[in-house]
Amino acid sequence: MDKDTLRKLELLNQLSLNETQKEHVLAFFQSREQELAVLNTFNTDDVARMVHVMPIMTVVRDDVAAQPFSRDDLQKGAPETNQGYWCVPRVVE
Amino acid sequence: MRYETVIGLEVHVELATQSKIFCSCHAKYGAEPNAHVCPACCGMPGMLPVVNKRVVDFGMKAGMMLNCTINRTTTFDKKSYYYPDLPCAYQTTQWFAPVAVNGLVEIETSKGKKNIRIKQIHMEEDAGKLVHDIGADVTCVDFNRTSVPLIEIVSQPDLSSAEEVEAYLERLKNLLRYAKVAECAMEHGTMRCDVNLSVRPEGSDQLGVRTEMKNMNSIDAIKRAISYEVARHIDAIENGTEVLIQETRRWDDIKGKSYSMRSKETAGDYRYFPDPNIMPVVIDDAWYNAIQASLPEFPEVKRARYISELGLSEYDAAQLTKSIAVCECFEEAYAVCKSAKDAANWLLSEAMSILSSRKMTPDRLSVNGKSLGELIQLVTGGKVGRANGKKILDAMFDDANLNPAEYAEQNGLIVSNDTGLMEQVAKEVLAGEEKAVADFRAGKEKALAAILGKCMKQLKGNCNPQVLREFLISEIGKM
Amino acid sequence: MKLYTAKSDTSAAKKIVADDMLLTKDMPTAAGSKMLDGYMSLFEAEAITKLCAAGYGICGKASVGEFAIDLLGETSYYGAPSVDGKLTNAAVEILKTDDAMAAVGLDINGSIRRAAAQSGFVSVKPTYGTVSRYGTIPVACSGETVCVTAKNIADCREVLDVLVGHDDKDGTSLSESECSRLNSASGAEAIRSVAVISELSADIDDETKAKLNAAKETLQANGVSVEEISEPLFAAARIAWNILMCAELCNNVSRYDGVKYGYRTENYTCMDDLYTNTRTEAFGDLLKTAILFGSDTLSTENYMREYDKALRVRRLVSERFAKLFEQYDAVLIPACSKAAYTEETVKADPYIAFSENLYTAPASLTGLPTVTAGGVQLIGKAFSENALFEAAKRYE
Repeated sequence: MDKDTLRKLELLNQLSLNETQKEHVLAFFQSREQELAVLNTFNTDDVARMVHVMPIMTVVRDDVAAQPFSRDDLQKGAPETNQGYWCVPRVVE
Repeated sequence: MRYETVIGLEVHVELATQSKIFCSCHAKYGAEPNAHVCPACCGMPGMLPVVNKRVVDFGMKAGMMLNCTINRTTTFDKKSYYYPDLPCAYQTTQWFAPVAVNGLVEIETSKGKKNIRIKQIHMEEDAGKLVHDIGADVTCVDFNRTSVPLIEIVSQPDLSSAEEVEAYLERLKNLLRYAKVAECAMEHGTMRCDVNLSVRPEGSDQLGVRTEMKNMNSIDAIKRAISYEVARHIDAIENGTEVLIQETRRWDDIKGKSYSMRSKETAGDYRYFPDPNIMPVVIDDAWYNAIQASLPEFPEVKRARYISELGLSEYDAAQLTKSIAVCECFEEAYAVCKSAKDAANWLLSEAMSILSSRKMTPDRLSVNGKSLGELIQLVTGGKVGRANGKKILDAMFDDANLNPAEYAEQNGLIVSNDTGLMEQVAKEVLAGEEKAVADFRAGKEKALAAILGKCMKQLKGNCNPQVLREFLISEIGKM
Repeated sequence: MKLYTAKSDTSAAKKIVADDMLLTKDMPTAAGSKMLDGYMSLFEAEAITKLCAAGYGICGKASVGEFAIDLLGETSYYGAPSVDGKLTNAAVEILKTDDAMAAVGLDINGSIRRAAAQSGFVSVKPTYGTVSRYGTIPVACSGETVCVTAKNIADCREVLDVLVGHDDKDGTSLSESECSRLNSASGAEAIRSVAVISELSADIDDETKAKLNAAKETLQANGVSVEEISEPLFAAARIAWNILMCAELCNNVSRYDGVKYGYRTENYTCMDDLYTNTRTEAFGDLLKTAILFGSDTLSTENYMREYDKALRVRRLVSERFAKLFEQYDAVLIPACSKAAYTEETVKADPYIAFSENLYTAPASLTGLPTVTAGGVQLIGKAFSENALFEAAKRYE
């Protein structure tokens, strides 16, 4: 991890670090390869990935619509609204 | 040098469900801004996704319609990016194990039949809508469409012209509407299309530089965009007018040009990973078989049956089967009136002309087929004149519950058996039409038609035209 | 500082404090972050609904570290809870005052287990999927679990019994019959043999070592065989967990962007400024590091070697546990390396939460139940909570 890659990572995650923070983060990333090397001491070639720890499957719900929350309530804590919309600075394509 | 165009399509189709894919909000089109929203679909923390069964039903059904293999264990993944129409900054979609893969769609163009391979169909949630014209300097966000279920149908790059693209899209629409999984209305944005296009010298096995035009929502615009892009690519290759790069472009249909979209440094890094909150969807045999059993008769099977069993002409059968709504109305009408030919005629001439005068597509046909069958019986049985029959049909477009016989009765549209009235009117008209009578006697058949028309008008159409005609001829003979 | 928000109108005899990762309707939920300062949810956690329905009263909310991934709660926007220079946990401090009989919270990176171990309280992290996560602030959903902390095993068990059960609103919730395995007496087969993992018992301070030895000896005195074995894989569980936790966290906290609710920067002219300045101003350093690390493990370049690898190691660890449980009834390890942390501990190593989770990651990674009591952690097979409680009774 270098500063250029870190900058891209910041952009991708909508964060902007100051120089001190950058140094701290880079320090954190230093142990990464070493830790990956530890993981790689365990052969996982024939091991299936485990996303869910419990071997259950999805229980689907019926297609029934309901609207229990009001827009006014949902927008109570909104930074900016107008005529029932949430508002952001103008986005141009 | 001759060139060939290589096109692959990603078609997004909103599924016709009642509720959204992971929450229970209404999926209905058209509502006040943010009226169909809950904490889950406006990005608040704490609610967990629960999969809507019908979305999986429809995903499977679409896959079966397009001859795909259904993944019996299908999973959901998260795709991350920031945009104000995406309230969680991730979209839940299918990346690793989509519901359907490896399909095939047959299209027909002026050059004949061709198979287009389907790479995969995946289920995902739609994004919200941005509105730019409410206040100055702001963009307004409406999450009503957020989490409405979509399927994305990804084709292989097997298409090679605008004509093929049009045929392919029409074919998809037809099949998905037959299966009742989607409305596929490009004008409502319930069907949208990303066009991936490249150009290469004919016969080459290397692909050219590919550009993508996103979110196209009209077939005409797609055709224009394709011909513009093909010309631009060829111009770039032959004349070096520009250097083609792999990029996303926006099509401006008003200006008739495509534009490069300024892409971010970070664009494209979506960091897909399996959604830990959605367990694998396992499609057991019972579920799979139930969906397979619910598949509709395919358009070409129906067409062949209309010809072989019902004796319709190839043309009529082809016209009817273009739309499942028309087919259903036809079959219901036929069940009542017992004449396939009459039912087809009424739909293909009268109903179609009413549809076009109302600027509606055949898929919007809402006429009750059983009532249409009754109407046809009234007309063929001589109880209602054909012109009045058309009036009744027009009224049936406004009221699906309209009973044609009652309506005809209430509005004086029943053919009268009162020969006295007919004779009286005929005599009055003939008395004032000496010239026409003379013309007819001189052998001008048309003159009689004019007289007949006048009589009909005075009788408000409620007269058997054949009886009237014979009466007029005999009266003229007596004069 | 708002380390604790009390609710004045609780009339229930048995009071519960909720940690700030559980959504409440009548009190704000901030997840210890400036981003959600004052955030009012429109719905509450299923855990809270269940407790209230059973006659318990929520007496207040205790602060957590920012999105509860730190040691004990020291990264909270409302300040680091500490007593006499030692770091502590807000919920545990409420329990000490006798204002509440138990605390419920979300265990993501072990803070609840460390807090229980250091305070000498009892905490249970139940089998993944047995308590609904509906209404909890999502961070690392594949392993985080609603937990109960109390002063003794009886209270802890009583509250857990209320929480366990299927919930249609949580797609990872186990069926009612699976959940009932945890409540039934048949699940409480006595623990007769325990394995101590040498890799997870080294590098601990004397006081922690003493607690571990005390637990071992008490178990042995009660006829339980205790054997020390080496399991390097269990030490590697921490690395896999850090990858999965940070990746999921990165994705889950991306929704906090200044658009819909919560903090919004005042310093913006365009959308990107709004996003970036909001997140930069409202998130703390540890969280930012976790976001960036998690994001990078999911990049096209790193996904296979890092994220996918971690998912496979998760299965290895899980299978290794299953194998061990053919031979032993439970695994006994510390919950942390130190009897106490100070502010200096964190200052010297700001990322200590990602190494100190050596002891908590194995159970987080696999969803296995743990009972922390007497300063140590007992891990059992799925649904073995009752057996773990019975064994822990010996040394609590």
